[in-house]
Amino acid sequence: MPPAFEVTRNDNQTMLVVRGSLDINTAPILAAEIDRILAAKPGRVNVDLTPLDLIDSSGVAALVKLYKGVRSAGGSIAISGARDQPLAIFKLLRMDKVFDL
Amino acid sequence: MVSAIRLSLPGTLEYRPLAVRVVAEAARIVSGSARRDPRISGEHDVHDPFDTAVVSAFMEIFNNVVVHAYERAPGTVEIEISFPPTHDELVIDVTDHGTPFDPRNVRPLPRELDDDSLPESGMGMHIATAMVDELAYHPGPPNLWRMSKRAWRR
Repeated sequence: MPPAFEVTRNDNQTMLVVRGSLDINTAPILAAEIDRILAAKPGRVNVDLTPLDLIDSSGVAALVKLYKGVRSAGGSIAISGARDQPLAIFKLLRMDKVFDL
Repeated sequence: MVSAIRLSLPGTLEYRPLAVRVVAEAARIVSGSARRDPRISGEHDVHDPFDTAVVSAFMEIFNNVVVHAYERAPGTVEIEISFPPTHDELVIDVTDHGTPFDPRNVRPLPRELDDDSLPESGMGMHIATAMVDELAYHPGPPNLWRMSKRAWRR
């Protein structure tokens, strides 16, 4: 089974791909990676949720933490690819417009 | 059609994927939706709006039981998934023997979302409530969550 997420860095850009289920079990693992991403103060972060099948409120919280952290440090962040259940959750919470999904 | 599925399992995060998988399969029985990719685990292969709603609500209730009722300590969760004779509805009872949940602790979501107001917690009950037709809580012991959702008639 592939890891739940992968991070690649190029110059000042970071790409985060999240797959499978981002939930109360996996969000703490991603949160630790998010701390590392934010510590590097990237200018641009791209988050690809295309391979993400499921998300719960813990997963949403992790992505909100990343979104806020990047922007408060002066960087920009783009979240894309949400579909099916994750997209339904972002719409329900009205975050689809904030994240421009 | 089967009339009910009953599960009794530890109320820990380790058993959460199993519980979600069973609920996803039960939702598929009612919605009539098909798996798209049999290579991936059943709880991940959720696409139909009915299945999506049921699974989303259930995940939040299970999380709530593990985190708030049992405070991540060992405990037992009983899950009863009922299929009323009309075959167009799913009723899920989740019973725990932990600390009762206080609905007064649920805060409203911010009316306007921006960088400052985007919530990082307190979303679970809003997701669960919005995703099903009815969500009721009966504090115990034992504590009982009952959610029901009617499927769109095809």
